[in-house]
Formats: sequence, C-alpha cells, structure tokens
Amino acid sequence: MVDLALKTLLHDKLRFAITAAGVAFAVLLVFVQVGLFLGLLDNASVTIRHTAADLWVTSRNTPNVDFAHVFPESRVDRVRSIPGVARADNLIAWFFTYQLPSGAQEGSIVYALKDFDTWSLPWRVEEGRLEDLRRGPYIFLDASAVKRMGQFRVGDYRELNGRRVQIIGRTRDALSFTTTPITFMDYDLAQSIQSQSLQGQTTYMLVKLAAGADLETVRAEIRRRLPYNDVYTRDEWASRSRNYWIVSTGLGLNMGLTVFLGCLVGVVVVAQTLYTSTMEHLKEFGTVKAIGGSNRDIYAILAKQASVAALVGFVLGGLGALVLGPVMASVDLKLIVPPVLGVAVFVGTFALCLGAAMISFRKVAAIDPALVFRT
Amino acid sequence: MPVLEAHDVTKTFSEGREHVPVLKGISLGLARGEIVALEGPSGSGKTTLLSILGAILTPSAGRVVIDGHEIVATRATDLAAIRRQAIGFVFQQFNLFPALTALENVEYALNIKGINHGTARQEAERSLAAVGLADRMHFLPRDLSGGQKQRVAVARALAGQPPILLADEPTANLDSSVGLQILATFRDLAKRDARALLIVTHDPKVRAIADRALRIRDGLLQDGE
Repeated sequence: MVDLALKTLLHDKLRFAITAAGVAFAVLLVFVQVGLFLGLLDNASVTIRHTAADLWVTSRNTPNVDFAHVFPESRVDRVRSIPGVARADNLIAWFFTYQLPSGAQEGSIVYALKDFDTWSLPWRVEEGRLEDLRRGPYIFLDASAVKRMGQFRVGDYRELNGRRVQIIGRTRDALSFTTTPITFMDYDLAQSIQSQSLQGQTTYMLVKLAAGADLETVRAEIRRRLPYNDVYTRDEWASRSRNYWIVSTGLGLNMGLTVFLGCLVGVVVVAQTLYTSTMEHLKEFGTVKAIGGSNRDIYAILAKQASVAALVGFVLGGLGALVLGPVMASVDLKLIVPPVLGVAVFVGTFALCLGAAMISFRKVAAIDPALVFRT
Repeated sequence: MPVLEAHDVTKTFSEGREHVPVLKGISLGLARGEIVALEGPSGSGKTTLLSILGAILTPSAGRVVIDGHEIVATRATDLAAIRRQAIGFVFQQFNLFPALTALENVEYALNIKGINHGTARQEAERSLAAVGLADRMHFLPRDLSGGQKQRVAVARALAGQPPILLADEPTANLDSSVGLQILATFRDLAKRDARALLIVTHDPKVRAIADRALRIRDGLLQDGE
C-alpha cells in the first residue's frame, strides 16, 4: 500500500526536520530537567540508602538527613536492650567548617561513627583504610569535595573547626543534595572537635534487626522507650529526606513548571508545523476525498505523520540525553533516567503529538471535496 | 440504459440570508461508451453539476442515478463510497500528489478503492502503459510535463474500472497539440472500455471527440448541437 503519509512528510525534508527538532527539544528538556532533579534527589538520600541500617532513630521532626538535631547519646542503650535488635550505634551527621589553604571557609557534612564497616559507610573507598580513622585526628574526604575545596591528596592536612586533621582516605559517590562536601571521621573525634554541640550528644541512631525479628514490633518498642524521638525505616527516611527538597524548597514546583513548558513548546511546534502542512496540502486532502477517500483516511495520514514526528523526535531527544549524561557527570551532575521515566516520556510524546494533530483534524473534516475543482 | 442519469436536479446555495439557485432543473443521461461535452460560460453551473453527478455534492432537489442505483445518500461517507466504486475524476489542475511517483499516484487511488499490494501495482502499471507512460512510471510529478501529468491523472481516473469518467477542463492547462493528444487518449480508452465520459470544457477541440455537446446557461441545460 502506498504510504502517502510518510512520503508527504519526507517530501519536505526541511519542514520535517523542524518538526522533529521541536519534538526532540521538548523530549530532551524533559529528560534533562527530570533527570537532573532525580539526580539531585538521589544525592539527598544516597547516604541513607547505602547505610546498612534497618531503622533510623532521629530527633523529633528532623526534616532531612542533612539538618539533624542532637539528642542524648545514652538513649542508644535503651534501644540495644530491645529484643530483636542485633546492633544499634550512634551516628553523628553535623556541619563542620573547613579553613582552606586559600583562606576561604567551606562547610562540610561530617558523618562520624565508631565502626564504619558494620554500617557500610562509606560504601566506596578509593584510598585508605577505614580502621585507621580511630587512631588519631584523621578524616576521609569524598572526591566530590574537589569542586568546592580544591584539589587534595591523601596525606594533606586541613583545618577543621580550628583543629588540624589529616586526610588519610578518599571516598567516591558520597554526596549531599546541596553539594556540601562529605567528610568521614571517628565518632569521638567529632565530639571532641565540636564539643560544645556534640559532647554527650548524637544526631541519629542506626539500628540493625536480628534475623527473624519483626520490624514493626521493634519499631513500636523503640517508640515506646524513646517517646521524644522519631523512628523510620530506611526507605521512609530516604523518602522523607527527598520530599523535604521537593516540597519545602519549591524545587518540585519548579521542575513541574519547566516540564510543562517544555511539553508546551513541543506541542506548539508540532501543532504549528502540522497545521501549516495541512493548510498547504489542503487541495491534496480534497483530492483524497474526491477520489473516494474518507475523513478517516485523512485522519490516518495526519496521525501517522504526527506519530513519525513523535518517534523521530523522541529518539533524537533521547540520544541527546544519553550524550549529555556523561558530560554532566564530568561536572558532578547526576542525570538519572529510570526506565519508567523513559516509558512515560515516550507515551507522553506520542500523546502530545497526536493531540497537536487533532487541531488539523478539524480543518480536514471541513474540507469541501469540490475544492479540487477550484484553480 | 444510461449509466448516469440526472432528473430535474436543482441546487441552491445559501449565502447568509440569500439563497442562490445555481441549477434550476437539469435532466440528462449518459450511456456507456458515450462521450459528452458540457459547455457553458463561467458561473453557469458546470462545476456544480459535475460535483453533483460525481457524488461530491448532493442536489437540493431531483434525482441522480448511477448505474441503475439512485443516490439517496447524504452522509459524506456514503458519497465517498459511491465515488470509490463508480466515478473517475480528471481535474484541470491535475491534482497529483507531489510526493508520489506517477505509479504511486495511480496505485494510491486503487488503494483507496480497496485494492492493495501486488494487484494494485500491476493494475497501476497497466493503466500507465495504456496512456503511454510506461517509461515515466517512477518519475515524480515535478519531473513530468503538463501533458504527462494529465496522462497520469487519466490513468488514475481509469484505475479501478469506474463506469463513469468526469473531467473538468482537462485541456485548460495544456498547449494545443498536447491537449489533442490527451483528448484522443480519453476517447480511445473510454470507447475501448465502454465508459461514459462527461467533459466540462471551454475548448472547442473537445467537440471533435464528443458524441454530443450540451450547453448550460443560467442553471439550465440547452442542447448544444
């Protein structure tokens, strides 16, 4: 069967290129905007997701993992004695300030534990041995800190809250939503450096369940014993930390607006070019009717043209996102495009292009076949 | 028995509050294999009559009978079905699809009529060969002369074996010699396959190939002999 739709579409290559480019732009914008947002959100919970804790105990109403409040560290003993608790340890996550060699200051979120290995923190060590953290004023610094603190090497010294510390290890992929560098150090060292805020205090309790223990039962008991604390599963805590950034900062709204505008651009471009094309080919559509074609035949032509534009635009936009991913990674920006996002954008692209084509449907439906007799 | 008949066909168009009568009672008949020229000044109703006979428009009153079946359809889909089965059009402006080759233009018309794949292609090739364009099948319209384009249009009109051919000023955009060739092709093919052919025209050359001529003036038919 002769494919009038495809041949007509490709006959005017420039117009087709413009249409496909418009769709590709919209697709790329959605992938990049949502992908970057998901990447940022991933940072908001990456430390939580990699920590080998079944439950997190926080102070009441802690909004996210970066903005902790202190509570007495002695409460961990009440948790350790609960049946079903295999292990419970205090974790300090707190803001410290570096004095850089340049004279500038830079904040850092410090994660402090007594036993990092048990809790799988940090999860990707490039240099150094975690057990050496307990032996003195030592820190591990994440590689991403280079961006805000400048180049560093294992063995370098830095001033942290007025105390001289030595970098004895490097980690990777430990990031925060705000891109504040993450530092790992021994629990006692953190308390001694920031004694005014942290002496006798902690910010979190990590809880690991014993084999066969019921999570909700343990959680209920923790809540009973620690009425002034909140208790979350790992997923709940990760979700809460992410939602804080989505809701409280307006970033979710911003992203939604940008996605909407991107889609609008795509729809307008497709509608404009398809409508213009329809008007230019009105006599041809009239001929289709005159030789016996129905409105349905013409709708099928327009729908196929819109679908081809959608497919080509999606592929181009998707390829663009694939290319941009590594480029953004080189500047420590994460672009996360989960399969469900790919499917949603694919379906949405087709739906929007077909919707744009419907503007032309109305024009076509009203074509008078006698148009073919007019010169 | 005529293959195409019109009985007291009238057509009135509404323009705002005004009602404009274009056809005021037309009756005619075309037999198979008959070639009829329809002449008349501009605005006399030729194109409107052609549109009604071709099931593009419906009359305000009167009857049109195609191959023994009265057209009672008023829905666009039903009229389209009648055109698919019984009518072949040739237009003044050729109205070929610019993105399709000559072969594809004819083949597409067959696809519209429900004939697909190899059968459509073969019939399209035969139609083009019959109008002398066997060596131009794979050319786009932009690469064809005016006469060649009109031959493609004739081949398209003939494809699917419609019993009735309606041509609107088929030679208007052609030079004299090419126009003569087209008319000769029309005549030969119409007579060969016993199709009724109605040609709306200002061209006096058409009379030479027509079996009879009709004149229309002010919405009424006069015998042009």
